[in-house]
Amino acid sequence: MTINAQKMLARKPKTWIMNSIFTTILLVAVILSFQGSSINMLRLQTIGVNLRIIGKQLINLNIDFLIGRGVYAFEEGVIYLTIETLAIGFLGTLVGAILALPFSFLASKNIVGIKVAKIGEAILVMIRVFPEVILALVIVKGFGMNALTGMLTIGIHSIGMLGKLFSETIDNMDKSSLEALEAVGATTITKIRYGIMPQIMADLSSITLYRLDINVRSATVLGIVGAGGLGASMILSAENSNWDILGTIMVAIIVMVLTVDAISSHLRSKLV
Amino acid sequence: MKKFTLSSGSTIEKPFNKVWVVLGILTLLIVIFSFFITFEPSTVNLSELGVIIKKMFSPKAGRTWGDYFGFINQLWEPLISTLEMSLAGTVIGSLFAVPIAILAAKNIFKSRFVYVPIRFFMNLVRTVPAMLLAVLAVYFVGIGVLSGVIAITIFTFGIMSKMLYEVIETVDMNPYEALESTGASKVQAFRYAVFPQVFPVFLSYLIYIFEINVRASAILGYVGAGGIGSVIKDNVLYNYDRVGATLIVMLVVILVVQFFSNYVRGKLQ
Repeated sequence: MTINAQKMLARKPKTWIMNSIFTTILLVAVILSFQGSSINMLRLQTIGVNLRIIGKQLINLNIDFLIGRGVYAFEEGVIYLTIETLAIGFLGTLVGAILALPFSFLASKNIVGIKVAKIGEAILVMIRVFPEVILALVIVKGFGMNALTGMLTIGIHSIGMLGKLFSETIDNMDKSSLEALEAVGATTITKIRYGIMPQIMADLSSITLYRLDINVRSATVLGIVGAGGLGASMILSAENSNWDILGTIMVAIIVMVLTVDAISSHLRSKLV
Repeated sequence: MKKFTLSSGSTIEKPFNKVWVVLGILTLLIVIFSFFITFEPSTVNLSELGVIIKKMFSPKAGRTWGDYFGFINQLWEPLISTLEMSLAGTVIGSLFAVPIAILAAKNIFKSRFVYVPIRFFMNLVRTVPAMLLAVLAVYFVGIGVLSGVIAITIFTFGIMSKMLYEVIETVDMNPYEALESTGASKVQAFRYAVFPQVFPVFLSYLIYIFEINVRASAILGYVGAGGIGSVIKDNVLYNYDRVGATLIVMLVVILVVQFFSNYVRGKLQ
């Protein structure tokens, strides 16, 4: 059989039918969304005007509020609130990581078998889909409006993703070293200490550090429902149009998140 | 530091175990941060936790289970606007992210003066949480779906530009160079050598970010950015049963979107 270019081209799979159907569906959905969200020129112009007025005030930082002096108590100042936010994120991640360990064992087929692992995975999925803000709304009723609520919210919410990633790490573990330890007569504790821990500790720490990034970010907004940190002042200042205060909070969030990001990615690059 | 002498005569040092340093720093941080987690036993009321969960997942006094599930019928409109703002935000944000991602990719624009400032700008955008974006947007354009779209757009832009430039940097550049050597312009070479490699990944990210955005936009209504979160905000003080019903719908939608996203992304790869 002779092969020529035309024949080969004719044999090319006809993907254009599926592609055009897919594109049409997407386009229709997007157009409908634009209509639903009522974007029009008039509203865009209002945004422009507002940007100029509010933007100017946003970059006008309120130094009294930043360090908590003058009319602001130290506990109301941005510096205190930023450290509180960091505390919520950090301790919440720690609580989450500790709580996630048993869940991850429950969800890894290496340890409990495929059937139980499915149940464990389902539990983790359910924890993951529960929105953080709603979780905080519930916990706030039991623990009051304070940073403890924020910490518990972050901790419980983190179980979902940490547990999933932990269990994947455990599943990918090399079992041969465990067998070798067993062959020389190691006890269970020794097996965990020298067979499992060295293999998974680096990965587990790296995953936890990554989650710390996410959690510090979400700790900044949990205050909206009263779970401590910067969020409460953020929503209050926006509602009262105190743009200088909101601007100060934004700067604090940006600096804090960038710093945590840098530290976390530096540590993670050392771990791997 | 412990020294060992091997039978061959060479000495080796036992490496310093950093675990204790790490544990020390960790303990220090825990102690410092614990001072900021104020704990007042008077505010803790654990029985209230059970009460609220029971209130959320059973009809309010004077209402029946029929009313409980009947409320779900009123949720269609906010639900659709949640999906609309996620979709519109995902698409607009991703489109804005494409040129920025190309500018940030080291292998396309080799000059440090291009990619360093662009990447800094990207990181800056990414630090602002979606909820804060929504708070700001609500005060710029007023309560409604549009502020949600704006918040989701900026949020998407932040994630997509970072993920996309990392993909562009890992593409195989040999076809690009080959095309350039045949006399193709940079744009043509990009279109036929880089674009086909990046496009499927871009689509898969688009769907993944849509999934993230549905989760995020579901609660943005809490600060007035429209969608299903506003229903929760409206009922959180007096109608816990409605909050519970809304929550169930929200969880189902998120699970469905997640399933759809996993399925389509599995097909794309």
